[in-house]
Amino acid sequence: MSILQVKDLKTQFFTQDGIVRAVDGVSFNVDVGETLAVVGESGCGKSVTALSILRLIQKETGRIVDGSIKFNGRELTTLSEEEMRAIRGHEISMIFQEPMTSLNPVLTIGTQIAENVVRHKGVSWQKARDRACEMLELVRIADPIRRLDEYPHQMSGGMRQRVMIAIALSCDPKVLIADEPTTALDVTIQAQILDLMIELKEKIHAAIVMITHDLGVVAETAQRVVVMYAGRKVEEASVEDLFENPMHPYTRGLMKAIPRLDMDAEAADKRIRLQEIEGMVPALIDPIPGCAFAPRCPFATERCRTQLPPFVESTAGHIAACWEVERVRELAA
Amino acid sequence: MNQHDPNAPSLEVTNLVKHFPILGGFLQRQVGAVRAVDGVSFSVRRGETLGVVGESGCGKSTVGKTVLKLLEPTSGEIRLGGIDVTKFSPGQMWDHRRRIQTVFQDPYSSMNPRLKAGAIVGEPLQNFGIASGSDLDDRVAQLFRRVGLRPENMKKFTHEFSGGQRQRLGIAKALSVNPDVIVADEPVSALDVSVQAQVLNLMIDLQEEYQLAYLFISHDLAVMRHISHRIAVMYLGRIVEITDKRTLFTRPMHPYTEALLSAAPIPDPKKKRERLIIQGDVPSPSKPPPGCHFHTRCPFAIGACKEIDPPLLEIAPGHHVACIRRPVGAAPEPLTRTN
Repeated sequence: MSILQVKDLKTQFFTQDGIVRAVDGVSFNVDVGETLAVVGESGCGKSVTALSILRLIQKETGRIVDGSIKFNGRELTTLSEEEMRAIRGHEISMIFQEPMTSLNPVLTIGTQIAENVVRHKGVSWQKARDRACEMLELVRIADPIRRLDEYPHQMSGGMRQRVMIAIALSCDPKVLIADEPTTALDVTIQAQILDLMIELKEKIHAAIVMITHDLGVVAETAQRVVVMYAGRKVEEASVEDLFENPMHPYTRGLMKAIPRLDMDAEAADKRIRLQEIEGMVPALIDPIPGCAFAPRCPFATERCRTQLPPFVESTAGHIAACWEVERVRELAA
Repeated sequence: MNQHDPNAPSLEVTNLVKHFPILGGFLQRQVGAVRAVDGVSFSVRRGETLGVVGESGCGKSTVGKTVLKLLEPTSGEIRLGGIDVTKFSPGQMWDHRRRIQTVFQDPYSSMNPRLKAGAIVGEPLQNFGIASGSDLDDRVAQLFRRVGLRPENMKKFTHEFSGGQRQRLGIAKALSVNPDVIVADEPVSALDVSVQAQVLNLMIDLQEEYQLAYLFISHDLAVMRHISHRIAVMYLGRIVEITDKRTLFTRPMHPYTEALLSAAPIPDPKKKRERLIIQGDVPSPSKPPPGCHFHTRCPFAIGACKEIDPPLLEIAPGHHVACIRRPVGAAPEPLTRTN
């Protein structure tokens, strides 16, 4: 059952240079209890998608121009700001990349967790503080009672991200959106946080939308994956299918371009060249009539440049937007 | 010896120490020191990449800045092609600067936004009196082509380039004076994977063409595995393990190296691994723990680890490890956990 349904979402920003089509018709569903990864490179619209779901796009600069976002059957795009506030941090919550800038430096972390609980659960501050303590324990912060009265600057980066997770989970959300939650952290700390998130997922029964650029993080945390390029979804599959049989030339290129820690020693000794994806991501200001990846795609034909490719299904639940799926598959075989 | 020796390692560092004073109190006296680099030794030969890997605060970037003499070393010795440059004044250093160049993580903030790209790349050539006038333009155009940029782009400003192109500019600039050593501090960390591959391939090609020595600083083990020949792992200002890449990835001997390798997420959902997740955070380099700096997080620490400063020993040919549980000649067997 889907808890979150995003359909034909279009989010645009209005700049002096023109309209930036940051999200250009993206659809996906998130099922109860699953982790869906949204993966792509910078500027692909993955973060804007997340912000759109929570309606956090600043009115002065941009807005959702089309599409629908349904949470638990309820349309979010038309809710009032007041109604949206009751959902944010309560039924849908979010963790951000930078735990330092997302925490308030002048409030103790106990207050920051309790604040959310008081706001949404209507309990007393004393009860909320107990809840905060419970949450710190849940995210495995040692000595939680003492930590409640500490400020963010007294904590390390990993610890702050644990606090962010504690706040996000304090009101038992149904959907947790994690936007690059480990990107700013060192690898050993990243491993701790990913481990914690996988463990908590079992406990909290929330669906997780994991926004990341890191295919390693995708492989370790997600069940299903949406690959985005230039504001559009180009491929969607279960994590196993995606890594085993990537369909879209962009996904395939991405997988071959990453240096692998698990490559064999021979290959590593020879320093075999990585496969490059020629060129660069297109500017999102000019409308792209065809496939956005066409200018960089070795399979592209005239049709790719002029007509928007439809989604083609290979196996159940594995779709890609590509005109040349057959040729790509033949090459792989 | 003050003559450039072609047989000496391009870069040789012995017991390098860099401490930053912590000032405090009313009189701003020194009350402590951040021991950013605490006795580090290594060498890089012609055509070789030495990777320096570690987490934030381990001192890897300070090593880079100190060997470039952008920071004055507290003690130790830095030799460029056999010449001891440690005590050189900036004036004396001038003649040797050409031999060691750098590529930064973010070329945008390291380039003058008001200069055209051609002028940025050509500046070192002018500074060192290597070329001027139309010869300069020719050389810069050649450099542009060599790093995969069109010479027409010489007239553009840096903000008109993408991240990957800017990094190519940074590489062209470093390359312009024909250096022996390039210190590259996280040169691909700010780039997207598809562009990262382009820049890594370019760096490998250039190294093979010009026999450059790279000191390649990064936190990314997969990138390291791709570009390095040998790798030094740093933790809190010290090298804990240094060896050739194959040995490091197949038979890591220091528990920290093992933890780093096992922490990196692998882009393959079928490879579910038994992970060695180390708890806690990196301690502050102003108050490093006594004994082995890693003992506070090490799952294999024994009592003596708190007291003994483990020396970096060559436990097998070319394989140096600083761990008292890994004596000379030790087999690469798993250690027994102590906590």
